[in-house]
Amino acid sequence: MSGLGWAVRSLIRQRLRTALAVIGIAISAAMLLDMVMLSGGIEKSFAELLLAKGYQIRLTPKGTLPFDTEATLDRASSIVARLRRDTAIASAGAVLGTSLYGRSRDSLVTLVGYGIQPEAQGVYQVQRGQDLARHDTLGVLLSASAAGLLRAEVGGTVSLVGRLDPQVATAGVSRQLVVRGIVRWVYDYRGQPSVGTILPVMQALAAVGPDDRASLVLVKARSDAAAPALAERLREEFPRLEVYSVADLVRFFKQRLVYFRQLSYILATMSLVVTVLLITTLLTITVNERLGEIATLRAIGIGRSTVVRQVFIEGAVLTVLGAVLGIALGLGTARYLDSILTSFPGLPAAFSFFVPRRETLTAAALVLLVTGSLAGLYPAWLAARAPIAATLRSEAT
Amino acid sequence: MTPAGEPTVLSGRNLRKDYPMNGAAVHALRGVSLEVRSGEYVAIAGPSGSGKSTLLQLIGGIDVPSAGEVEILGTRLDTLSDRELTRLRLTRLGFIFQRFHLLPVLTARENVELPMAEAGIPVRERRARALELLAYVGLEHRAGHRATQLSGGEMQRVAIARALANRPVLLLADEPTGELDAATGGEILSLFRRLNQDGTTLVVVTHDERLAAEAGRVIHMLDGHILGAGE
Repeated sequence: MSGLGWAVRSLIRQRLRTALAVIGIAISAAMLLDMVMLSGGIEKSFAELLLAKGYQIRLTPKGTLPFDTEATLDRASSIVARLRRDTAIASAGAVLGTSLYGRSRDSLVTLVGYGIQPEAQGVYQVQRGQDLARHDTLGVLLSASAAGLLRAEVGGTVSLVGRLDPQVATAGVSRQLVVRGIVRWVYDYRGQPSVGTILPVMQALAAVGPDDRASLVLVKARSDAAAPALAERLREEFPRLEVYSVADLVRFFKQRLVYFRQLSYILATMSLVVTVLLITTLLTITVNERLGEIATLRAIGIGRSTVVRQVFIEGAVLTVLGAVLGIALGLGTARYLDSILTSFPGLPAAFSFFVPRRETLTAAALVLLVTGSLAGLYPAWLAARAPIAATLRSEAT
Repeated sequence: MTPAGEPTVLSGRNLRKDYPMNGAAVHALRGVSLEVRSGEYVAIAGPSGSGKSTLLQLIGGIDVPSAGEVEILGTRLDTLSDRELTRLRLTRLGFIFQRFHLLPVLTARENVELPMAEAGIPVRERRARALELLAYVGLEHRAGHRATQLSGGEMQRVAIARALANRPVLLLADEPTGELDAATGGEILSLFRRLNQDGTTLVVVTHDERLAAEAGRVIHMLDGHILGAGE
């Protein structure tokens, strides 16, 4: 009979108690896993989102974050042209974000518009149809949601309205455009109705004036390793603009979510404490119930180390069972919670709060196993220190 | 009969045991000395509270005397560390308790194997010896049954097999028939008789006059003293 088999049989002997303990540990483990995924997942997911198309640097108007305000930078094309001449830069493209309207039968629907440079874009992926050509002034790209609202498909025509006269609600600028493709806009929230045209068309629809405006410029360095140094150099070359690397943006994002992270750390710690208390309580009860058995074992010459090992193994078995169940439960609840959180308005649909990564799962499992084993320390100490003669005397009466 | 000339297995000198109870000191043993030679069958008899179980615990090294000393095969127990004392109990002594104290989650065979596993005996060897011992106590057909599936008499016989596992020089039994009916107790008596005939040294604490009568020597105790010994 191995120590493990002995431990398993001892646990099975108290089926209900063991099952309740395993469920309790599993719930704590699930909470721990979710909090660990949450604490590191947000920034990981954000960084992955920013690098979705490989652009490591963003240039925005002074004092603003990308798409954080309606501020725009002027002479976008000349900035892009200058950047494209830089041998350290693989690609650069401007993006204008604005709001506009689309005609759907007799009504207007509000849309989000992107002006892009198709040869260097980092904000969408084509799902159906084709991309815009570089000088395609008649084409438009739609999100699936926008296509639904406008009742349009690839090859169809849509009417976009850029500005409404506030007095009479008539269109200031209007364009009939052919749908080239259905795309997934990387930074859109779920169900966001977005449309995209080449930059000059969107500039006209947005009526941002004659000075070639854009919300930001995306820059792709020739290598990821060179990006921080390039960002530093661009800061000097464009003092009137903000230059952000992905690391800078992740840092800003982390600052904004600092309370969220603190909450996740507190909840993770609480779940660990609950796990420790559960295992310690259960094993202490078990040891106290079995003091007579333990005293007998010690009397017949079974060493303290064997007794301690048995208590430890029982704790470890409980922890492993709870952890396995907890990981499954944690992944399930993370998916559910993620679907709730990412449905908040303004959050990119591609963003994820809970990112299950191998290292996260391993870290959570290791923390749980170590903590679970440590939780067996007190009951194991109790078992090892049980006075043999006094216990046998009290058992006999 | 005291086998004169046989080596001394156990010797206890001036053993005293005091322990506190409800704020007062209880004098469980008041200076007891005894000697047991190899091959002897000694019964310690006396009323409840006379100190016989305490004496057994002291000579078995599972409790420490307040004064006096115990020697097993010439080794003074008070000179041993806890680890050494545990090892001595494992390899030199065998214990049988009134309430059997088998591990309920283990089978009869596994219970007998347990002390051998602790002593580091290889699996195959200890399995064979466990079956051999179960056959000796007449329970080879119950080897695969859990302790909870056995009757009281069967449990005590398994406990005896467990006590014999590491070939002890001295078998100590505390009221071994105390939980058994007369017929089952009789089976244990004959098993003890057979064990002694086969050379096992036995010290048995008992209320059971039949069991005491089986012994070669009876030590009578009262109020922590030995009143006298008879053969």
